[in-house]
Amino acid sequence: MTIKFPDIDYAAIAPLLIMFGVAALGVLVEAFVPKRARHLTQLVLALAGLVAALVVLVTQAETRVVTAGGAIAVDGPALFLQGSIIVLAIMAVLLIGERSLEKGGPFVAQAAITVGSEDDRRQAARADGATEVYPLATFAIFGMMLFVSANDLLTMFIALEVLSLPLYLMCALARRRRLVSQEAALKYFMLGAYASAFFLFGVALVYGFTASVQAAPGRMAGGVDFATIHAAATQSPANRALLFGGLAMIAIGLLFKAAAAPFHVWTPDVYQGAPTAVTGFMAACTKVAAFGALLRVLYVAFDGARWDFTPVLGAIAILTMLVGAVLSVTQTDLKRLLAYSSIANAGYLLVGVLAGVREGISSTMFYLVAYGFTVIAAFAVVTLVRDADGEATHLSRWAGLGRRSPVFAGVFTFILLAFAGIPLTSGFISKFAVFGAALDGGQTWLVIAGVITSMVLAFPYLRVVVMMWLSEPGESTPTIAVPGALTAAALVIGVAATLVLGVAPAPLLNLSDTAGQFIR
Amino acid sequence: MTTPAVYLAQDPTLADFGHDPWWISLIKVVAAFVFAVLATLLGVWFERRVVGFMQVRPGPNQVGPFGLLQTLADGLKMAFKEDILPKGADKVVYFFAPTISVICAVTALAVIPFGPMVSMFGHQTPLQVTDVSVAVLVILAASSMGIYGIVLGGWASGSTYPLLGGLRSSAQMISYEVAMGLSIVAVFMTAGTMSTSGIVAAQAGSDRSASLGGFEFFAPGWYAILLLPSFIIYFISAVGETNRAPFDLPEAESELVAGFMTEYSSLKFALFMLAEYVNMVTVSAVATTLFLGGWRAPWPISIWDGANSGWFGLIWFFAKVILLVFVFVWLRGTLPRLRYDQFMRLGWRVLLPINLVWILALAGIRVLQKENSDAVRWGIIGGALLVILLITLAWPDRRKQPPRPLQEQVNARPQGSFPLPPMDLVVPPSPRARRGVAQRQPANVGGGAPDVVDTTSTEEKED
Amino acid sequence: MTNIALAATVTTGEAVTFWILAPLALLGAIGMVVARNAVHSALWLVLTMLCLGVFYVVQAGPFIGMVQIIVYTGAIMMLFLFVLMLVGRDASDSLIETLRGQRVAAVLVGLGFAGLVGTLVARAVGDTTAVGLEAANQNGNVQGIAALLFTNYVFAFEATSALLITAAVGAMVLAHIHKPKSERLGQPETMRLRFRPGNYPAPKPGPGVYATSDSVATPGRLPDGTLTQRSVPEILPTRELSPRETAPKGTEK
Repeated sequence: MTIKFPDIDYAAIAPLLIMFGVAALGVLVEAFVPKRARHLTQLVLALAGLVAALVVLVTQAETRVVTAGGAIAVDGPALFLQGSIIVLAIMAVLLIGERSLEKGGPFVAQAAITVGSEDDRRQAARADGATEVYPLATFAIFGMMLFVSANDLLTMFIALEVLSLPLYLMCALARRRRLVSQEAALKYFMLGAYASAFFLFGVALVYGFTASVQAAPGRMAGGVDFATIHAAATQSPANRALLFGGLAMIAIGLLFKAAAAPFHVWTPDVYQGAPTAVTGFMAACTKVAAFGALLRVLYVAFDGARWDFTPVLGAIAILTMLVGAVLSVTQTDLKRLLAYSSIANAGYLLVGVLAGVREGISSTMFYLVAYGFTVIAAFAVVTLVRDADGEATHLSRWAGLGRRSPVFAGVFTFILLAFAGIPLTSGFISKFAVFGAALDGGQTWLVIAGVITSMVLAFPYLRVVVMMWLSEPGESTPTIAVPGALTAAALVIGVAATLVLGVAPAPLLNLSDTAGQFIR
Repeated sequence: MTTPAVYLAQDPTLADFGHDPWWISLIKVVAAFVFAVLATLLGVWFERRVVGFMQVRPGPNQVGPFGLLQTLADGLKMAFKEDILPKGADKVVYFFAPTISVICAVTALAVIPFGPMVSMFGHQTPLQVTDVSVAVLVILAASSMGIYGIVLGGWASGSTYPLLGGLRSSAQMISYEVAMGLSIVAVFMTAGTMSTSGIVAAQAGSDRSASLGGFEFFAPGWYAILLLPSFIIYFISAVGETNRAPFDLPEAESELVAGFMTEYSSLKFALFMLAEYVNMVTVSAVATTLFLGGWRAPWPISIWDGANSGWFGLIWFFAKVILLVFVFVWLRGTLPRLRYDQFMRLGWRVLLPINLVWILALAGIRVLQKENSDAVRWGIIGGALLVILLITLAWPDRRKQPPRPLQEQVNARPQGSFPLPPMDLVVPPSPRARRGVAQRQPANVGGGAPDVVDTTSTEEKED
Repeated sequence: MTNIALAATVTTGEAVTFWILAPLALLGAIGMVVARNAVHSALWLVLTMLCLGVFYVVQAGPFIGMVQIIVYTGAIMMLFLFVLMLVGRDASDSLIETLRGQRVAAVLVGLGFAGLVGTLVARAVGDTTAVGLEAANQNGNVQGIAALLFTNYVFAFEATSALLITAAVGAMVLAHIHKPKSERLGQPETMRLRFRPGNYPAPKPGPGVYATSDSVATPGRLPDGTLTQRSVPEILPTRELSPRETAPKGTEK
C-alpha cells in the first residue's frame, strides 16, 4: 500500500506557518535567553512575526485554493479574517507588552506561588511578569488563524483547542486579584472543555450522516470536510435528524466561543478576572475567530440546511441581544459591563451571519474588524485608570473622571458612543451594514429586535458618560496613568480606526465585499 | 523421501490464527497459564540460587533436589497464614487489587509467540495463543492496566507506607511506560507491523542489506543489534516497569517497609509475588520477541535449517528468556537501589531524549534507504553531519576551571562560616605520640630497622 | 484479523460481548456519578473506559481500542488517581448544595438530554446498515489510520503539536516555582537557623517504650525521669485511654 502525501500550497499557508514557527521559537527563547533580556526579545519576536505574517498575507491576497489534503481553505473570507486577526493581535500584543504602567507588567511572575503568601507579596511588588504569555498568545493567534480557514470539522476542532488552551492559561496570570483571575481561568476551562465536547459529539453525528456520500467522483466516501457535508446535505440517504443534531451541537461549541446566549455565562466572570490586556485580546480576536468559523460552517458546509437552522439561530440571536442589553444595564463593574456589551454585539453579529446573502458575510466581517478595534481601545483605557491596588474598574470609581483627565475621558466617551452606534463612528456603520444585509436577506424580525436592543444598550453607555462628566471627582477617584508607548500606540490605532471607519468606511467595506466569497 | 520443505521455518502469519478447534485453543491457553505459574515457582528458586551464588552462599538447598521445591513450600506456607484485613482498608478494592495485578500480568503472555507452526494432534497450528494486528499494543495495554493492581493495593490498605508505595509506583510506571513505548516505536518502524509473529518473522532475514553511495551494508537480523539503543532503553524501562531492583522503589524495604504490599498477607501477598515474577518473565519474553529474534535459533545454530522448525523453537525461546531473567537477577545482585529523584531524572531526562533523537535518526535512515537519487541522499547525510557538527561546536564547555589559590577560596567563604585554623598552623608534637614511641623503642631495637618512627622522636634523638 | 472483513454483520460473539459489556459500561458511568469517594468514582470510570475499548476492538477498530486502554485508562486515569491519592483517601464530596435545587435540575436536564440524544441516534441509525468498514480496513486497520493521518488530516496532526507544546508550557507556568540561587539556604544559614535561640538543635527524643504501652503517643522519659512532650509528634491527637484499655489484661503476675 502506498500513501501519497497530499500537495500543500506552502505559500498559501505561510502566514499560519510563520505564527507557528514564532510561537515555537518563543518557547525556545524562554529556555535559552537570559531572564533579563527575555521580555524585550519576546515582544520584538512576537511583533516581528505578526508583521511578517501580515506582509505575506497581503502578497497572497489573490490566492483562492483548498490545500493540505482539503484541510485548509484559503479564500477571501479566510484571508480577510486572518488579516484582521493579525492586526487586532498586534494591538493586543502591544497591550500585553506594556510595562510602564505597573512595575513588571500586567502579568504575575510565578503563577504557582500561593496567593497571599509572603513570596506572593514580594513578587507582586517587584518581580518581572511571566514572559511565557508571548508564546502562549502566538499559539492562540495561530489557532485562531487556522480556525477561520479550517475546511473540515476535525481540523476546526484542533484549531479550537489550539486557540482555547493558551487563553485559559493566560486568564490565570493576572498580577493583581489573582484568586479572581484563577477562578476565571478555571471557569473558562471547565465550560470550554464542556463546549468542546459538544462540538466533538456533533462532528461524530455529522460524520455518521455523511457516510457513503462522495463529494466528488473518485474521492473517499464519507468524511467531515465541508464539501462532503454539503454534498451529503442534499444526497445522503441517512436520517436528517443526524444532520440537525450534529449541526446543533457544533453550533453550541462555536456559539460558546462567540459568547452567545445561553452559552454566554462564562463571559462576564472571565472578562472581569483575566488580565485586561488578555480580555481585550479575547474580546477582539476570539470573536473574529469564532464568527469566522461560524460563517464558514453555516455558509460552506450546512448551506443546504439554511431554512432549518435560521429560525433556531435567529431565536438565539434575539436572546443574545436581549440578555446582553438588559443585563448590561444592571452592571456596576466596567469590565463586566463591557462583557455584556460584547454578548450583545455577538447577537448583532449573528444577525449578519443569518442574513443568508453575500452581503451578510461581508457586513459581518466588517463588523468584526470595527468592533475589534473599538473594544481593544476600550480595554486599553481601562488599563489606564488605576489606583494603588491596580485597575479601578468599579463604575462608581469612574465618577468625575472627566474633570480629572478630560482627554482620556473624552476618548472613552468616543469609544462608548461607538459601541452605542452613534453616527460618525464605526459602530454606526457596522450596525447599519449588518442590519441592511439582514433586511436584504428577509430577516426583518431580527433587525427589529436588533434596533430595539440597541436602544436599550445605549442606556448603560450613556450612564457611564454622564457619570464621568457630570459628577465631581471625590477622594477615591483614581488617577489616570500616563500610558507607555505601547499602550498609547494601541489606543491611538484603535480610536483612529474607530473614527476612520466611521467617517470613511468605503475602502474596508469594498475590501470585505470583494473578499466575501467562500470557496468549497 | 523427505521434502526439504519440512525443515524450512514456517512463519505463522496473521491469517494462520483463529482457525484452531476450541480444544487446541484451550490447550494453548492452559499451557500459557501453566508456563506463567511454573516460571514463578522456578524463577524464585532460580533467583535465590543465583543471588546466593553471587554472595558466596548456597541459597535454598533443602527442599527437594537442589532446593527446587523451596518455592512450593513457601507458597503452601503462605496459603496457611492468616489473611489479615486492615481496619482502615477499603475492602472491595483491597480484595481486587492483587487479582488485577495477576490477571494483567498473565494476559500479556497470550500474544507471545513461543514457536513456529507445529503439528498438534494432527492440526497445523502456531505455538502462540493468539495474534492480532496490534499485538504489541495488547502487551502495553496489559502492563499499563497492571499498574492498577499495585496502585489500588497501596491505596486500599489505608495506611501510610502502602500509599506512598502506590504513589511512587504510579508515577514510576507512567514515566517508564513512555520510554518503553517509544523504544518499541523503533521496532514498529523497522518491522512494519505490530503483530508479534510478524515481528519475529521480520527478524529472520539475513538478506537485508542497504546500499549507500555504492557500498553495500549488511544488516543483521536481530533488532537487539540493529536497534541497539532501543533494546537497551527497553530493557532499562522494563526493569523500572516491573519494579525490580535497582528500581524497586515502590517496595523499597529500607524506606517503606514493603511499599504497597506492607499490609498484605497470606494468599493475597502470594498473588502480588506471583504477579511480580510473571511480569518479569513476560517482559523478558517480550524483549526476546521484539529484539532477540523470538523463537528463532541464534546464529551458529541457525545454519542448520531444522533448528527453526517445529518444536525446536521452544528451546531457543526459553533459553533466551532464561538468559534475560538471569540479567534481571544479576542486576538485583549487583546494583544498589536508586534514589527516587535520580530515578525520575533517568527516565525523563536521559531515556526519553535519547529515545526521541534515536527515532528521528532512524526515520532519517529509513528515508535515506527509500530515496533513489544520490543527490538527496548525500544532502540528508551532509545535513545530519552539519547538525552534529553544530551541536558539538555549540556544546557548552564543561572543562574544569583550575582550582583557585587557597587564600582566595578562604576569602570567598560566606560570612559566618565555620572558623578555620590559621593557614600557617604547625601541629605541635603530640605528647602521647612521644610516650608511645618511648615505650615501643626497646622492642624495636632488637627487632631490626625501626621503619615506622615518628619524625619528631628522631629529631629528639639527634638532639 | 480475518474477522475484520466480516465486521459489518453482527456475529454472535459480538452480540454476546455487547450485551455483557454494555450494561457494565452503563453501570460504570452511573457509578462514577453516584460514588461518594473520588477514587471509587475514578475506578467506575476506568470500568466504563475499558468496556469502550473492548467495543472499539469488537467493532473492527483494534488500534483505537488498544490506544483507548493504554492512553485513557492506563495513563490519564492513572494520573487522576495519583492526584486523588495526594488529596487524601477520605476526601469525599461535600453534599451541600451551593445552588438550591441544582442537583434535581441537573438530574432532570441530564436525563432529558440523554433521552433526546438517545432517541435521535436510535431513530436515525436504528435501521441503517453500516457501510465502509471493509473499505476502511482494506489494508489493515493501523495502516488505514496512518493513511488518513498522513493525507487528509496531516495538517490537523501537525497542529496537535501546538496543543501539546502549549500544554507543557502551561503546566510549567502554573505549577513550577523557580527559586533563584540567592534564595536557597546554604550550609552556614541552615546552621545558624538550627542554633538560633529558642530552637532545639539536637534530635528529638524517641517515644517512650514501656511494658504497658509502646504507642508513639506515649511521651518518652528524660534522663532525670521527667516526661517530655517533645517526643510526641505535634500532629498526633492527644487521646485519653478508655477504661477497657487501662484495665489489667490478666497477663501481669
